[in-house]
Amino acid sequence: MTEPSGSAGVKRRDFLKVLGAAGAVTTTVGCFQEDVEKLIPYLVSPDDTVPGVSTYFATTCRECAAGCGLIAETRDGRAIKLEGNPAHPVNHGALCARGQASLQGLYNPDRYRHPMARKNGKLERITWDEGIRTLRERIAGLGAGAANAVFVSQHETGSFAAFLDQWLAGYGMPAHVAYDGEAPHAVMQANRQSYGSAWPALDFSAAKLIVAIGADFIELWGASVTQQLSFADARAKLADAPRFVYIGPRRSLTGLNADEWIACKPGSELAIVNALAGKGDVAAAATAGGVDQAVLQRLAGEIAATKPSLVLSGVTTANALDVALAVNALNVAAGNVGVTIKPAEALTAFDRVGSPNDLRDAVQRMASGAVPIAMFRGVNPVYVLPKSLRVAEALAKVPFKVSFSPFPDETTELCDLVLPDDHFLESWGDAESVRGSVSLQQPAMDRVFDTRATADVLIGVTKGDPATANRIPAADYRSWLIGRFPGGAQAFGAALARGMAPGSAAQSTGTPRTVAAAQPPAPAPLEGQQGDFYFVVYPSPVLGDGRATNKPWLQELPDPVTKIAWQSWIEIHPTTAARLGIENGDHITVTTAAGTVTAPAYVYIGVRQDVVAMATGRGHTGYGRYAQNVGVNPLDALPVAHDASGGLALATVKARIAKTADHSPIVSTEGSARQHARGIGRAVTAAELNGPEEEEVEHFAGDNKHDFLPGLRSPVANDAQGVLGNPKSKDKGMYDPEHWSGMAKRRWAMAIDLARCTGCSACVTACYAENNIPTVGAPWQGRSLRPFHSGDGNGWDTRPGANILKGREMQWIRIERYYEGGEDGSSDFDTRFVPMMCQHCGNAPCEPVCPVYATYHSPDGLNVQVYNRCVGTRYCSNGCPYKVRYFNWHGYGEPARRQYAFPEPLNWQLNPDVTVRGKGVMEKCSFCVQRIREAEHRAKLEGRPLAADEFTTACAQACPSRAITFGDAADENWSVARLAEDRRAYHVFEELNTFTAVVYLKKVNHPAGGAR
Amino acid sequence: MTSRRKWALVPGFVALAGAVAFLSAYSGASSSQNFTPEQPINFPHPTHVQKLGMNCLYCHYAANKSPDPGLPAVGTCLGCHNQIEVGPNRPKIDSIPARQSAEIKKLLDNYADASGKPKKAIPWVRIHKLPEYVHFPHMRHVNAGVACQSCHGQVQRMQRVYQFSSLNMGWCVNCHVNGYKPADAVRNTEGYPTAADEALPPKKARYDCSACHY
Amino acid sequence: MATVARPRGATDLSPRPNVASANQQLPGVADYEQVDRDIGGSLTPTAGWFGALAVAVALFLWGAGTWTYQIYWGLGNAGYNPPVMWGVYIISFVFWVGIGHAGTLISAILYLFRAGFRTTIYRCAEAMTVFAVMTAGLFPIIHIGRPWKFFWLIPYPNWRLIWPNFKSPLVWDVFAISTYLTVSATFLYVGLVPDIAVLRDRATNPVRKRILAIMSLGWRNSEKEWRHFARMYLFLAAFSTPLVLSVHSVVSFDFAMAINPGWHTTIFPPYFVAGAIFSGIGMVFTIIIPIRKFFRLQHYVTINHLDAAAKLCLFTSMVVGCAYLVEFWVAWYSANQFEQKYFWNRVFGEWWWAAWIMLTCNMVFPLSLFSQRLRRNPAWLFILSIFINLGMWFERFVIIVPTLSHEFEPWQWAHYVPSWVDISILVGSFGWFFMWFLLFIKQLPVIAIAEVKEIVPPKLRSPHPHEDAIDVTGQHQAYEPDTPGEFA
Repeated sequence: MTEPSGSAGVKRRDFLKVLGAAGAVTTTVGCFQEDVEKLIPYLVSPDDTVPGVSTYFATTCRECAAGCGLIAETRDGRAIKLEGNPAHPVNHGALCARGQASLQGLYNPDRYRHPMARKNGKLERITWDEGIRTLRERIAGLGAGAANAVFVSQHETGSFAAFLDQWLAGYGMPAHVAYDGEAPHAVMQANRQSYGSAWPALDFSAAKLIVAIGADFIELWGASVTQQLSFADARAKLADAPRFVYIGPRRSLTGLNADEWIACKPGSELAIVNALAGKGDVAAAATAGGVDQAVLQRLAGEIAATKPSLVLSGVTTANALDVALAVNALNVAAGNVGVTIKPAEALTAFDRVGSPNDLRDAVQRMASGAVPIAMFRGVNPVYVLPKSLRVAEALAKVPFKVSFSPFPDETTELCDLVLPDDHFLESWGDAESVRGSVSLQQPAMDRVFDTRATADVLIGVTKGDPATANRIPAADYRSWLIGRFPGGAQAFGAALARGMAPGSAAQSTGTPRTVAAAQPPAPAPLEGQQGDFYFVVYPSPVLGDGRATNKPWLQELPDPVTKIAWQSWIEIHPTTAARLGIENGDHITVTTAAGTVTAPAYVYIGVRQDVVAMATGRGHTGYGRYAQNVGVNPLDALPVAHDASGGLALATVKARIAKTADHSPIVSTEGSARQHARGIGRAVTAAELNGPEEEEVEHFAGDNKHDFLPGLRSPVANDAQGVLGNPKSKDKGMYDPEHWSGMAKRRWAMAIDLARCTGCSACVTACYAENNIPTVGAPWQGRSLRPFHSGDGNGWDTRPGANILKGREMQWIRIERYYEGGEDGSSDFDTRFVPMMCQHCGNAPCEPVCPVYATYHSPDGLNVQVYNRCVGTRYCSNGCPYKVRYFNWHGYGEPARRQYAFPEPLNWQLNPDVTVRGKGVMEKCSFCVQRIREAEHRAKLEGRPLAADEFTTACAQACPSRAITFGDAADENWSVARLAEDRRAYHVFEELNTFTAVVYLKKVNHPAGGAR
Repeated sequence: MTSRRKWALVPGFVALAGAVAFLSAYSGASSSQNFTPEQPINFPHPTHVQKLGMNCLYCHYAANKSPDPGLPAVGTCLGCHNQIEVGPNRPKIDSIPARQSAEIKKLLDNYADASGKPKKAIPWVRIHKLPEYVHFPHMRHVNAGVACQSCHGQVQRMQRVYQFSSLNMGWCVNCHVNGYKPADAVRNTEGYPTAADEALPPKKARYDCSACHY
Repeated sequence: MATVARPRGATDLSPRPNVASANQQLPGVADYEQVDRDIGGSLTPTAGWFGALAVAVALFLWGAGTWTYQIYWGLGNAGYNPPVMWGVYIISFVFWVGIGHAGTLISAILYLFRAGFRTTIYRCAEAMTVFAVMTAGLFPIIHIGRPWKFFWLIPYPNWRLIWPNFKSPLVWDVFAISTYLTVSATFLYVGLVPDIAVLRDRATNPVRKRILAIMSLGWRNSEKEWRHFARMYLFLAAFSTPLVLSVHSVVSFDFAMAINPGWHTTIFPPYFVAGAIFSGIGMVFTIIIPIRKFFRLQHYVTINHLDAAAKLCLFTSMVVGCAYLVEFWVAWYSANQFEQKYFWNRVFGEWWWAAWIMLTCNMVFPLSLFSQRLRRNPAWLFILSIFINLGMWFERFVIIVPTLSHEFEPWQWAHYVPSWVDISILVGSFGWFFMWFLLFIKQLPVIAIAEVKEIVPPKLRSPHPHEDAIDVTGQHQAYEPDTPGEFA
């Protein structure tokens, strides 16, 4: 890494020292560290920060187009945690897994550390001046060719698009291609036509019936966090909540949250929609979709009877636009517009997004050799476009290629000039995600590497040449932004504090994009193609179109549906698998007209028997150590087909599948997908909720008062809190009853509402970020356990996820996904998502067995794990009925080791308030004890008692469906105490008398016809 | 020596070995107490504290509001020594042998540029070091009235600072359990506690593990 | 010992057996000189012994090396597959502790009960105990994540002002194992003192003589010494007797105290103690039968002794078998779905084969000992003992692995395959055990000389040819080596 100058540099070295120590100590946890350390002070102390105390910056997330508001927590000048901005209209404080993980983009060890140019075949380091000069000369030398120049930029809302177009226009270049491979283009096109805005606000709570036709609104369909919040609020109305029906060939995460799944053939959606709208023949639609006619009939009736409803389309077939238009027509007819669909409060994040068709055209022009210069910012066409388009070959025809990508992705590796962009946490920008509100993007810290914001580079290009010097009347992009900001610098500065400002300045320039100029070719009709399986490709909810794959947190995050990590898979229905003799992990080859792809099979009851499904995102050939050569890319087997709106059609081919000889075990965190009637994830029907409350005998065994202060009366907790001990007696119990403790009467507890939880897994990544949890699945982290087998012969097991294959993932909070029903392979099954973390039992089986008190019960009701006391007998894990304790099998925290989970500079993200665990110690969810202590300190400093709901844990903070509530169950002012009294409340395995501190609220199902 | 005595030696040796192990374990032999390193600049605390009457918090400015006491930036040193060194605008500070001091020259020559602006950070050697798995919030202790000297010793008299306390866990726990006497704070700051001070009850603190270890 | 060892009355010259039952006479042994000659002779090293020792040391070194490797890389190199957090190491720990118990039973309890057949095998068994416990003691340290911190389990005053958690069965283990090791080692040594004195007197090499002199604590074979010795020996026997019951009960608490299905049951202490003695006797056979053969000690460890031990083996096997069956009944009767699921899974689940190895080796095969012919057939006893060792190791496997892999939380069900590291260290532990044992049998008498002499008829002023024996009734009887007739 280059040594930055000035105080920033000193600061950075300082952190490396500190973190170096933090790493080093992990080898010696439990003994003294004698080696002498240096203390490096600031040169000039920054007046706005206090060492050891966090500073917070409001900024905007750029991981996807939605543009959520962020609060970046920085400690001593280093961003260590991202949280949603509670005041932001899009995410209201929540943040998805990808948003959390953007920190690992910032600190990614594979980021380009300086600009580079291709000299005799390989990229070599250059200075920024050289880089900018080269670019300037190249552009100057274009002449008339400029008209054919291509600039492909990742679509993002805000002024940059306008700035870029303005800059391009100055050189006579055409407007840039704003690409977003994840956006549902057909829907937006249809929305523009029907409602006049690309993405109207969706009010799920207003609806009484939700029908999603392939619209995965919890995943990548639109602004997932906003939609998930609204959906969760709707479902939280319990008995009156909208019933949710999902129609599609594959039951996605969104589909798993539905009350009913109508598994139709891809391509038949249009007929079905028409039938539901009463415009088409139900029988014909049923046969076309391969679904039960009675079901369609019933649903059509429901839609007709239930007002208002909300019907959403998100199909990815060739006729997606028609389906979307039909759906919109249905909504209009049902009078949903303005009620559940609000064009007035449109989400403007997707305005002016280009269509993949534009990119395809650009690639074809490159292939024709007409393009003199191609520039890429944040887009990786070589990967995100189907192999059959031969992007690499097209690029070879372009004489000069520039990449602004900060990562070594497949496209950049082919470019001649690399001018790495700043991360969004290092640079300035703005966004208009919601009409009427500008959210600002500001640097939360100094640059990690010698990178530079693309906008500033472009300004530098113009400035360098007297002819163009005053084309952009601003020193840099920041001042350019301020110049256009209503109210100028002062207002800008004021707005930075909140992270947003009313108004629409950002959008003042730039014309809204229209449909792609060139009409895409009509793809071959799905029916009548070769092959007996429909090949359905869907964007991965975690990795998106592959841009998030280089972040270990996301590689390690199990797919919310299949629970697979570090691996690609092909979903196939159990019946089909049985017929073809395919078992989990058997490699199967999918062959389409466009190509073939081979991956292990995953038997999933959520796909049709005639469908095989694959997720995008993996199968990179470059893109850094965490993405490279992990999994395969389904786009290799996909033809270049677009719907009428120019969107890439993902479900457009039929395929033949063949079982191969290979087998690789599925890297899954799933043990048994069935809960064997053990009442872990419980549910009630809306009807039962409406009915009278029957005595639930299994409710909190041995407690008639139905008094939910979990654990407060439990033997150990009382002992710990000195309730049992008699001050007179010599027996002071486990603790001295008289010993002073401000927490003596607290009981930290958590309520998890399964009616809200969608299983999106944002909490898991948030927990990784907060608690320094190591990722263990990288291909170089696994030791091979059989010397003459598996591995590279040097004792390493180089399979991605090798450690997870041995069940050694370290997820302090995990999302268990249980199925109810559907054993016969029918589509009628219910899914229970159960977030499971340490239950902080008041009567914990893990505590008495620990020989050294490494785990014990704290006076404030926590089940504490003392890492530095742990000797690693692992007895506690045996005792734990919930199996939520995780062991450090290797030295994941030791920088010297190949297995180190935080290679420089990833370790800059480590939370200074949390110990980095060493080899051979047990760890587990701590209820974010560091946050509890911090809040106590703050309250003490301000001389006040802790306020109710003053703070919360990382998982609860991130949760986009507000399913997790944390607080003090012993104090009724905290909302968790109220939730614990809910009639849906239960404890997992309460018959074991563990008196857990985690209260689950039963899921609420809305079966067809009210009762099941 | 009779054979009986001879045979008595064996258990004697065993007992001796046991006692040695016992004592070394109990005394916390692994502590780095009295660690007195050579610092890059021999900063004289007495001069600054006793002579100039500077408060600890002037340089360790975060001790009362952050877990981290804070270390003076080079700019802070130069803030004064710049003026002291560069003659004309030198304030009337009573006869400090600033010019002569080799240590101040070290500061100005190595860590400041010609104009007296900070150039390079001073690599102080860390003396009081708790392991990373111990979280010690300075502000809680300072605000509770614990005198700096109670843990760091009479730094204002130390020509070269050394580790005053053992910083062993038992040392912490003792105070948390038995409490800290306000009168001691007065004594440690070289004051004379009044009867009222003596009357004040000791301040106790929680001593369950998760107060410091997480 | 010095109990009824002397013919009473000057007038009555007819010799009598000096112990209660007849089946431990040694007709093949004529006089004290022969005893000294035979047993002393067994101490001269042979090529075969050196070979065996070499193998044992090699295995031990391989195991030690693997442990170092594991300490460096972390326990991830063992086959643990969470939630199976305990594996081969704890299995082997329980296995080795169990082995020890037979030794103490034979040397202490049977001594108190005056079961004479123990006389010739107890030294061997007692040594086995000491070395087995030494091996067992290593495994918890090998097992823990930070072995360099194992001493935190020992209560000693320290500057942290914290103590171990006395509620934890693992701390009880520390006490149980250390006590057991100390007591049985002392017991072994005290029993050895007179024999060491004998060796000292026979020793020619001055250095060896000096060492033996020290070890024999200046034993002079005086009346006074014998009286003290007898008292001491009796006291130690009484002292170690409760340990036979307590130690393995404590070990069983490691499981019984946890709430896991298949562990949380009150039958465990007796069940474990019986199993321990059973496995120990198995190991005694595995050791004593080859020794008896190669050291030509058939005259001393007679078929009768083996027969008697085999009966004990059969009895304990039946106790263990009973416990196995009761467990299933309890699971059914408890109507606890977790218990029932686990026990079904034990015999028909992923580890059915382990369970069936356990049942056949420990419950079925030993039934063969109902046949006297098999009881008196050393070859069969040896083969059976191997099966018993195997079966008892798998008993612990069946207790630990299936429970942990199929517990309350279905989402966390997992599989378990030991890695090459686990196996190497297990093999290494056998190397370690046999290394010590082999060293022992060539340095010190593997059969208690002094006690054997007590049951050898003293020099009699009698007309009988000295190679013949006197039977219970005092009748003259010709000696037939290794035949049932010996019994009459």
